[in-house]
Amino acid sequence: MRSPRLDKNAARDDGSVNPLTYFLLALKASLFSTGGFGNIPSLHDDLLSRHWATERNFAEALAVGQISPGPNGLWIISLGYFLNGVPGALLSLAAIMIPPFLILGVEWLYHKTKHHPAVEGFVRGLALSTVGVFAVVLHRLLSDIGFNPRTLLICAASLAIGLTKKVPVVAVLLAAAAVGLIFR
Amino acid sequence: MKSEGSQPRPLTRIFSVWFRLGIQSFGGGVATLALIRRAAVDNERWVTDLEFTNYWAICQIAPGINLFALTILLGRKTGGALGIFAALAGLLFPSITITILMTAAYAKIRHAPATQAALHGVLPATIGLGLVATIQIVRPLAVVAHKEGFDTLLISALALVGSGAAIAIWHLPVIVALIGSAVLCALHAWIRTLRGTTAP
Repeated sequence: MRSPRLDKNAARDDGSVNPLTYFLLALKASLFSTGGFGNIPSLHDDLLSRHWATERNFAEALAVGQISPGPNGLWIISLGYFLNGVPGALLSLAAIMIPPFLILGVEWLYHKTKHHPAVEGFVRGLALSTVGVFAVVLHRLLSDIGFNPRTLLICAASLAIGLTKKVPVVAVLLAAAAVGLIFR
Repeated sequence: MKSEGSQPRPLTRIFSVWFRLGIQSFGGGVATLALIRRAAVDNERWVTDLEFTNYWAICQIAPGINLFALTILLGRKTGGALGIFAALAGLLFPSITITILMTAAYAKIRHAPATQAALHGVLPATIGLGLVATIQIVRPLAVVAHKEGFDTLLISALALVGSGAAIAIWHLPVIVALIGSAVLCALHAWIRTLRGTTAP
């Protein structure tokens, strides 16, 4: 049984979300990335090309993920819910639960090869590339919201405040919501 | 100095400690990591300070969410295979439930004018905070590259900009960009060492 569609605006002209495919795409994205946000670019690519999610869905899921407790990586739970209700959220959960178990193998391997330069280089290359790709995705999300002075100002202010590490993320987001409500 | 972590802990204790961490961990990675460190090292004495630091370093190269990998290592240390599941269940049950409920609540009020107005503030802020995460990843890498010399700096810049260009301009699959950069940097680091040009 399908869960009710939650968002009439979400683009789904390509048909409905295939749960198994979604799970495999989410698993692939998490398996070949590190960190809670590392899986964004790959999923963004795969879901948008299938018209299963919109730029807006990603931005919304990221916002919910930042506000809710737990690791930031839980944003994908929110995305899964937008796609397919609670079953979608649980598929996201399964997809992000499996890859971290490889730490058990990594730990074993690391103790054998930790001083091999190629291992260090590989990890560094992965991190650098995640950043490069992520910057492109952030740019796309921003252009979907629309470049205007207010948007850019809020974005720049959050960046500056975030870099100080003095203000909790939730406080930054609440302040931004207040700005949005006051200056309509 | 050895921690008392060698003997197994009761599963209910493992679960309840992680459950409390799961509820308290508002504000993302860094805040959560500090909470876990306090619980694991200071309060519960599962691991020593140094063991914790080593665990966290290894978790940086594990696929997926680093905090989950850390939870898995600490869970195994305290209670073996069952400890892993007690720790993960404790951490995830509250945070997953709250995330789903918040998303459902949001989906209900998504089209209200006030929600839309608030979103016009929240969404750009989310992107600003995403940029913060990006800069925090790049900074230590840039320091290492700078120390190693011009060739590492060049290769690092190539990996970063090249992956962005690969998906933005040439529309390559993201995975190709990731693996490509990783292999490039691995080869470079290897060749560097073979030539004996490693910086002191």
